[in-house]
Amino acid sequence: MSGRLLQLAWRNLWRNPRRTLIAMSAIGFGYVMLLFVACLMAGLRQQMIETGTGLVLSDIQVHAPAYYPNRPMHQTLGGQKGTNVTTLVAAITADPRVYAASPRVYGYGLASAGDQSAGVEILGVDPHQEQKITVLQTRIVKGSYLTEGMPKGIVVGDKFVTTNGVGVGSEIILLTQAADGSMGNDLYTIVGIFHTGLDTVDGSLVLMSLSSLQELLRLPPVRIHEIGIKLHDVTEATTAAAALGVQLSKILPVRVRAWPDLVPELADYVQFNRSVTFILFFIFFLLAIIGIVNTMLMAVIERTRELGMLMAVGMRPVQVVGLILAEAAGLAGASLVLGGAIGVPVLWYLQVHGLDLGSAIDEFSLAGVVVGRHWYGRQDFFAYSQAALGLAVTALASALYPALRAARFRPTEALRKI
Amino acid sequence: MIMRLQKRSVTLCIGLALLSLAQMSHAADDQRARAIVDRIARLFISKSSISEVEMQITNENWQRNISMRIWSLGEEKILVRIISPPEDAGTAILKVGSNSWYYLPKTKRTIKTPASMTMTSWMGSHFTLDDLVKQSYLTNDYVITTAFEGTRNGVPVYEYTLTPKPTTVVVWGKILLQVRQADQMPTWQRYYDEDGKPVRELTFSEYITVKRRLIPTRLVMRPLNKPGEQTVILYKNVNFDVPISNETFLLSNLQR
Amino acid sequence: MSGVLLLVKIGWRNLWRNPRGTLLTALALGLGLALLLVSLGLLDGLHEKMVSDGVRFGTGHVVIQAKGYQDTGSQDLLLPAQVVSTTAEFLHTEPMKRLVRGVSPRLLASGLLSSAANAAGVGIIGIMPKEERAVSLIPSRIVEGKNLTDDEQSGVVIGAELARKLEVKVGSKVVLMTQAVQQPDREATDPGEGGMQSTLLRVSGIFRTGVQAVDAHVVHLLLPVAQTLLGVPGRVTQIAVLLEREGDSLMVARDLRKQLAGVAVEVLPWRESMPRLVQIFRLDQAFNYVMNGVVLAMVGLGILNTILMRVLERRYEFGLCKALGLRPLQLAVMIIGESLALTTISLALGLALGSIVHYYIATFGLDLHWLFKGGAPSAFVFDPIIYSRLSLSRIVSSVSIVFLTTTVISFYPAFKAARTELPDALKVF
Repeated sequence: MSGRLLQLAWRNLWRNPRRTLIAMSAIGFGYVMLLFVACLMAGLRQQMIETGTGLVLSDIQVHAPAYYPNRPMHQTLGGQKGTNVTTLVAAITADPRVYAASPRVYGYGLASAGDQSAGVEILGVDPHQEQKITVLQTRIVKGSYLTEGMPKGIVVGDKFVTTNGVGVGSEIILLTQAADGSMGNDLYTIVGIFHTGLDTVDGSLVLMSLSSLQELLRLPPVRIHEIGIKLHDVTEATTAAAALGVQLSKILPVRVRAWPDLVPELADYVQFNRSVTFILFFIFFLLAIIGIVNTMLMAVIERTRELGMLMAVGMRPVQVVGLILAEAAGLAGASLVLGGAIGVPVLWYLQVHGLDLGSAIDEFSLAGVVVGRHWYGRQDFFAYSQAALGLAVTALASALYPALRAARFRPTEALRKI
Repeated sequence: MIMRLQKRSVTLCIGLALLSLAQMSHAADDQRARAIVDRIARLFISKSSISEVEMQITNENWQRNISMRIWSLGEEKILVRIISPPEDAGTAILKVGSNSWYYLPKTKRTIKTPASMTMTSWMGSHFTLDDLVKQSYLTNDYVITTAFEGTRNGVPVYEYTLTPKPTTVVVWGKILLQVRQADQMPTWQRYYDEDGKPVRELTFSEYITVKRRLIPTRLVMRPLNKPGEQTVILYKNVNFDVPISNETFLLSNLQR
Repeated sequence: MSGVLLLVKIGWRNLWRNPRGTLLTALALGLGLALLLVSLGLLDGLHEKMVSDGVRFGTGHVVIQAKGYQDTGSQDLLLPAQVVSTTAEFLHTEPMKRLVRGVSPRLLASGLLSSAANAAGVGIIGIMPKEERAVSLIPSRIVEGKNLTDDEQSGVVIGAELARKLEVKVGSKVVLMTQAVQQPDREATDPGEGGMQSTLLRVSGIFRTGVQAVDAHVVHLLLPVAQTLLGVPGRVTQIAVLLEREGDSLMVARDLRKQLAGVAVEVLPWRESMPRLVQIFRLDQAFNYVMNGVVLAMVGLGILNTILMRVLERRYEFGLCKALGLRPLQLAVMIIGESLALTTISLALGLALGSIVHYYIATFGLDLHWLFKGGAPSAFVFDPIIYSRLSLSRIVSSVSIVFLTTTVISFYPAFKAARTELPDALKVF
């Protein structure tokens, strides 16, 4: 494509500034809409992931190879000998992507109060470290989270509390099979009650201090089941997990899993969310095609005489096509720039302030609200560039028909038109 | 077919194996076989019993020996007190009908446990509490046939095949039982799933006469899909039809 | 008056002097409307499906349970015997019949399922196969064997995880043990009675939902079998009702409550019986609103562009009209008349096209399988087939919005054109 043609194309656009500007605004604003949608959708994904992983799971989990998913008690990290927990945690936090890491121990047993008993899953955590990797402490509805001062304190869910008729301060006996086969049992006090909205968690999860659980299970301090990891950016989970897997395997045999492995249904939702964004893009492209074809066709028809003249003085049909396409490309490019410029403050606003949904969604507020009234956006540059690319392609495709029409003008007839 | 627990006087029994032998009373095919198996099944039936039992558990993660004393009265009441090892000493388990309680000496508390706990592996062994403390499953039907009659390792034995009838409520496909011809004592019992794969094996030995009954006092249960694991039950002291008062089985007495 | 009429007639004929241009514009506008309708239909259908699938894994849009069950979940709390028949009757009469997709009575309990190899604690659900299939998603997730049928007294359907743990396959023997229900009105005659009951079952089918908790835990048997096992003939724990539209939940719940007034039951719409779903759907609803707005804005832009373009091109022509004596106001009226006519044609086109596409998708569904990597989506999402849902109000509002937008937009250039100075208008380029 000769430079001259491009110059001509560009100047043609501006010979009818009003029309060009209108088209540019339409396409430009349309692009802003796409950016808006992509940003919100990315924010939605982020929120879903944080909700799904932030309460109990954490972003990445490190286990002994045979541990997950059945969680047999004896498959501790490093096997029977266990491992130096501090060293392992340090090795993990050395990776710059990692925000924090915390050790965990799991057990199963019977929780009994009065004449009620129920099967429970027991999670032993480091009260201080754990708060860096999960946010369960923000869901305490009564009492308080675990503290170092009360080693025999436990935190349970509100469903557990109603089913068993207990409350903060109640005494609970935990009975379990210890690592040496004996019947581990001890008395604990409920110090706090949480509400996550997840039935299984609220009904049968008992949270206690790691060392207390190790004591109950007769596990030495070097034996833990899992290390939970929180990253600075959860979208890097899969790559970070793979890298950590390689890194940690040098210390001891491990299997490192990112949250898509742990909650595949959430990963599916994220994928679905991406796809819906794509569909919305598609709808817009359809609309854009209609608009651009319309515009370009009218332009071409209106310039019949001019194009006829160009062809009469020697412009070849191919060049005419090229000219029209170049105009379309120019239009698209200019629109994208305009849209991008307007989009920047919009995207910034979405990320920092979010959309206030207070009035838009219905008033039902029974559930412990996981989603705040604000819908925050997040930048998704990949989607932004996909949108731009799609738009450019759409513009060129839409201009094809008008361009071909123009190429078929016969100079003699064209010149006669007024 | 719903199976109801019927009232029968029963006492401490040793394994589900021998219990299911009681079901043979209606076996159709082999009359002599039926008679023998029937007799074996009634070996442990009595109105009450007190025994001292040692359980040696070996699994892939640990090895333990537990000694306990067991009282039983009628079919419904069972009391177990653990004597050793020290971590569990003083623990008591009371079962009355379908309710069961654990007394935990460390916390000095009694807790009520869900009935399903008595139906799964007890204290990490390969028996359930129900296996250990007999409940009779009567009116189940097996078809008994003699698979072998002759000498094995110099000992004349019978080997019977017990096939549950279509409506019998058991998970097994078949059970193979070997009995000594001389004294009609069981030597081993093997449980198979419906595909014919052997799942577990119970062996009997160390026969002793108690109140004019010859009984095996050493039982070994081996899960055949987990090599190296087993549970050995030794009856150190068995006494049948001894007077036991109902008060033994009161919840209030559990905390002694 | 006749002046206006004449102007409108001229306006109309103006349209057809350039049939290609007119049609192109009408098509553009019409497609905009059609796209709007289809998008809204899909978004609504999507939302509806999310709710529906969510509730189908639980207790349906509306659930009837014994009072207090929601809080305690105690398996001893059963519905009084009459409730099942009363409810079924009520829901099978007009007008309820049209709103209801399925009614499934269920008996819930926990128990122990044993196989030769292993045993596991399970959640028992006694069901009536045909009714359950209309409500729950589990019957459609069978991967091996088949669903229960009414004549298979000893059949049980279990999850893939459970089958793996118990090392069983279709046809294997399993024994189900459970504690018979404590009836408050019955005396415990002896500790043995009302104790553990067992029954022999054979695996009829194995399902996979993808949700670990369900696949490892839930077992389905025939309702009568479960009732006998638990010693409660004729009673159930809950009745799950699935509706055609989520929007009717509150109303149906209210009507059922009235119908069952005086009986100790709780009739809960899904937001109360499954509050955790509400969080997800609040988000989805917000999403819906925003997306509606976006699509509307996009379509609006398209309309704006089209109309403006069209009017601006004809400045020469308008200038000519004025030069020939048409007064500014008359010109404006003519232009507006044209716009209205054009809009009407476009709307008709758009409505027709949109309705056809909507109807197609509403009947056959839009299969979105290809959106999921790996093909099989997990339970949380659903079978990715969306059926378009368009309520009348949506259609009316969409059409009105497009109509208004188009008309309002044409006012500006109409008056602008009317006021153009003659010499400017007659400039050719």
